[in-house]
Amino acid sequence: MAAAGAIGARKTYGEGDTAVQALDGITVNFERARFTAIMGPSGSGKSTLMHCLAGLDQLSEGRVFVGDTFLDSLSDSQLTELRRDQIGFVFQSYNLIPTLSAAENITLPMDLAGRKPDKEWVDRIVDTVHLSDRLSHRPSELSGGQQQRVAIARALASQPEIVFADEPTGNLDSRSGSEILQFMRGAVDNLGQTIVMVTHDPGAAAYAHRVVFLADGKIVHELSNPTADVVLDTMKYLGD
Amino acid sequence: MIRVTIRSLLAHKWRLVTTSIAIVLAIAFLSGTQILGGILDDSIRGLIGNVYSGYDSVVRSPDVQEAAFGEFRAPISAEAVVDSSGVEGARLAYGVVESANIQLIGKDGKVTGGGIGPPTLVMNWIDDPMRPGTLADGRGPTANDEIAIDFKGAEEQGWELGESIEIATQEGAEQYTIVGFVGLGDEANKTAGAQPVFFTDEVARSTAKLGDQYNYVAVSAKDGVSQDELASQLAEANPDLQVLTGEAFTEENQDAVAQFVGILTSVVSIFGFIALVVSTFIIYNTFSIIVAQRTRETALLRAIGARRRQVILSTLVEALIVGLVASVVGLVLGALLASALVTLLSSFFSLETGIPSIGASVIVNSLLVGLVVTTLSAIIPAIRSSRIPPIAALSEVSLDKSGMSWSRRVWGLVFLFAGIALTALGLTSTLKPELYYVGAGLLAILISVAVVLGPLLARPAAMTIAWPFGNRRGNVTAVLASENAARNPRRTAATAAALTVGVTLVSVIAVLATSVKSSVDDEIQGAFGGVDLIVSAGNFSFLGIPSEVSDSADEIDGVDIVSPVGFTFMRILDESLESESDTGAEEPAEDDVPVIGIPDDAPSGEDVVSNAIDPDTYFRIVDMGDLQGDPETLGSESLIARQSVAEDNGWDIGDTIPVYFAATGTQNLTLGLTYTDALGPGDDFYLPLETMRPNSLPGFDIDFADYIKLDNDADRDAVVAELDALVADRPDVTVQDREEFIESQTEFIDVFVNIVYALLALAVIIALIGIANTLSLSVMERTKEFGLLRAVGMSRGQLRRTIRLEAVIVAVFGTVLGIVIGIAFAAALSSALAAGEPGLVTFKLPWTQLAVIVVLAAFAGVVAAIIPARRAANMDVLAAIATD
Ligand SMILES: Nc1ncnc2c1ncn2[C@@H]1O[C@H](COP(=O)(O)OP(=O)(O)OP(=O)(O)O)[C@@H](O)[C@H]1O
Ligand SMILES: [Mg+2]
Repeated sequence: MAAAGAIGARKTYGEGDTAVQALDGITVNFERARFTAIMGPSGSGKSTLMHCLAGLDQLSEGRVFVGDTFLDSLSDSQLTELRRDQIGFVFQSYNLIPTLSAAENITLPMDLAGRKPDKEWVDRIVDTVHLSDRLSHRPSELSGGQQQRVAIARALASQPEIVFADEPTGNLDSRSGSEILQFMRGAVDNLGQTIVMVTHDPGAAAYAHRVVFLADGKIVHELSNPTADVVLDTMKYLGD
Repeated sequence: MIRVTIRSLLAHKWRLVTTSIAIVLAIAFLSGTQILGGILDDSIRGLIGNVYSGYDSVVRSPDVQEAAFGEFRAPISAEAVVDSSGVEGARLAYGVVESANIQLIGKDGKVTGGGIGPPTLVMNWIDDPMRPGTLADGRGPTANDEIAIDFKGAEEQGWELGESIEIATQEGAEQYTIVGFVGLGDEANKTAGAQPVFFTDEVARSTAKLGDQYNYVAVSAKDGVSQDELASQLAEANPDLQVLTGEAFTEENQDAVAQFVGILTSVVSIFGFIALVVSTFIIYNTFSIIVAQRTRETALLRAIGARRRQVILSTLVEALIVGLVASVVGLVLGALLASALVTLLSSFFSLETGIPSIGASVIVNSLLVGLVVTTLSAIIPAIRSSRIPPIAALSEVSLDKSGMSWSRRVWGLVFLFAGIALTALGLTSTLKPELYYVGAGLLAILISVAVVLGPLLARPAAMTIAWPFGNRRGNVTAVLASENAARNPRRTAATAAALTVGVTLVSVIAVLATSVKSSVDDEIQGAFGGVDLIVSAGNFSFLGIPSEVSDSADEIDGVDIVSPVGFTFMRILDESLESESDTGAEEPAEDDVPVIGIPDDAPSGEDVVSNAIDPDTYFRIVDMGDLQGDPETLGSESLIARQSVAEDNGWDIGDTIPVYFAATGTQNLTLGLTYTDALGPGDDFYLPLETMRPNSLPGFDIDFADYIKLDNDADRDAVVAELDALVADRPDVTVQDREEFIESQTEFIDVFVNIVYALLALAVIIALIGIANTLSLSVMERTKEFGLLRAVGMSRGQLRRTIRLEAVIVAVFGTVLGIVIGIAFAAALSSALAAGEPGLVTFKLPWTQLAVIVVLAAFAGVVAAIIPARRAANMDVLAAIATD
């Protein structure tokens, strides 16, 4: 059973001569409790796909679903609720509200829903990302890596159906990066979370169960249980 | 560099508009007031010139009594008319009756204009064009039951020629037939505010209670005789009287009205300046935000070689342009405002309508004020922008930490204490003019609390105000709103301060008004404990009530005591006043308006209004504290004084006190009684009616009220009904019980307070625009943050709520600050007043009213947030996230 997916997804920006096909007929499933990496050259449509899957953007054609809900049937406020309750999101940067403490940022989606956070679960996540002693700090008092860990903790804290992460380690040094990646993999393996991550880094992709390669808005290749070398080779091969 | 500025201005046209609004409104108000004042002045001078254009000279009494609400000149005998018409250059001498003691009764049976409209003048008709007023239709009165009246008033009432109308005089109402309509100017098409009613000479004199006297004599010159020649001939013929040329007389009247218009204009202008102060905060704030938002851009400019001076200049040029545009728009708006008001006012009297001519001084003033205020407000932000280091181009915009600095605390306290000291100095009036010190003190305290200390208060205030909305108790919108309000403490404080200015003044007024009203209530309840009913003709009437009412009322079943009350003007002569007395006789000359025409040999002294009472009944129903002396001994040459006044002047019971009356000259009165408490703070003297009546000016020998005490078992409603029947022919006379009386005594306070509120509304509205403006700019600044919030699941409604609550926090913060400062000020003022006049003001807080103000402020915050909230909620989430 897939946690989310797209069927014949097309996304066109602009019209006529200047029209850009960001997504050009993508059909893909993201299985539950799996860590999927999406790779591809710049402009290949990775972010667009994620935004459409997360209900932040609309397809021009085709359908996307999260859990057992097709997003095209939802109103704006239903989409908002879906993002809040069933989707976790991690951006490349600027993930946290500067006026809220780390703890408040983590529970933000649940607070917005007016739900009581599952304390045990939140504690467990906070422990796993090694943030217990940083909870009362503001984002400006945290390092970049710590900020991204808070963002991931937020994405996981509400036990969403699926977590989308767009280049979550793009701005980090390799040590903090691998810490994050290890943690994400752990969340999938130990907590049964579903994660889809966009990355340019073969090393990062190697943490995933599966890698999907995009080019010009199409899926051009897939790898299971990749290693960094294999990913690199595939990238070279696809690049030619 | 200039090009960069202009590009930036054009790129943010909307911001230019919102920033300007504050200045536009303030300038519009100021210039509008000035233009209107100018028009009123011109029109009124023109009208008065028209009214008296037939007078070549005026002969009148030199004796003038000055009273709290105007001058009263003694009338002159009819012989003066004969003497004047006898001089060689005189064509015609006209004994003029000009008095204000009648009321017209409209078709609805009520006094026209509610008794507070334009005054109704009794005048006598003379069949010669020299009289004030030109016949528009019909003819002048020839029979004693005929009148000619002002066409405008008649138009309003729908009166026609030949119609019979009722006129209330002191003797009761009488019927008159309208035989003519009068207007001003050559075409009889203008009206001057007052409503003249022309009677025959006989009726006019008896109505005005002049006997065989006239108010003055106007003389028309023969052809070829100049006004000066005529005047000097008249002066010879009337050696004891005052003579002046028609021109001088007209000018005197013009100046009197012009002075009033001038005072009115400057009083109203004060509120324009208050609005200007408020605008200063808003412009300062807007430029601070703009500069902060441009940090990277500025840093980049600096990095590629822009000098500090150039950076400062670019901001100042922007301010200059904003100021210029705003002043011009404000000026135009002010002119429109003035012409709209003129149209409105022209229903009362004739004014030049249409496009008003704007004097050069108004234009220069408006532009100068607008430019200077805007530029000055932008100076600090401009300097701050020049301090941005080039390296800032690379860093994230840091949070504003200014709330915490020590120098801020020190300066805040310095300003606070300076303000308190200035205010205290002003209030203890050891310095002159006191008001400037109080004003400066208020400003310093405001700056201290709102601008300097405000940023320190912003965070705790935001947290507290958000508390009821669920702050830190699981409501994330409340948390976000309070954090947003607290994140730029300086910005929040300055935005709130704009509101604080207006609210401070509103609270001062509210607290003082409540205090005064409650003390009046206390006093009347206390002193008038024995008075059940009051028969009177209202506060603004010189008619008084028919003198027979007191006798008739005494006959009514259930009435125990009836006590008639009157008043008179008199002068307590200097010779009997101690030099160090606090009765004001030795005040420096600047306070004394020179009294025109008082003969040099008239004894000097202090002019007072004295109440006149019936000693046999008054002291049985009115409590005047401790009495010394015996009411029984009071007679036709007695004086009653406040004990403290008597002590200050070293008077004892039985002493002879010389008192000067306009009608009868100096009289030696005997101090027969002293008291410790009187209703009004100024009520330092009373006379027995027996003393007052013979010394009263004609027309002022009246009962202005009857105080009535009922039997214990009286049927109150029945008595009231019978009293009503007694005064049935005097629609202007009312029968009130004590509560109604108190209300009528404090009514004017409400009127005054409402007028002040209306004028302060401008300052408050500008402050609210400021909140909206700041919020809009902040929302733009936080685009990315709001995008993120929406991405992780904040609904549009929640986002709107967050922004609304932020506005509410700022508004309530500013309001509460204002109320606190306002209460402190009102307390200081009332204690200063109480020091001078004990019992004048008992300090009392209008809690409900203040609570309503806070709620209104919260609501106003919601309104101010409408546009920024909508803008934030409607933005595209993806685009917001992508924003740099
Ligand atoms: N708002 C937009 N308007 C027009 N074109 C857009 C818009 N957003 C994306 N595109 C285009 O759509 C295509 C896919 O963009 P997308 O951001 O999905 O690429 P990406 O794979 O995430 O690239 P990167 O690795 O650089 O992040 C690109 O050609 C881009 O120019
Ligand atoms: Mg991308």
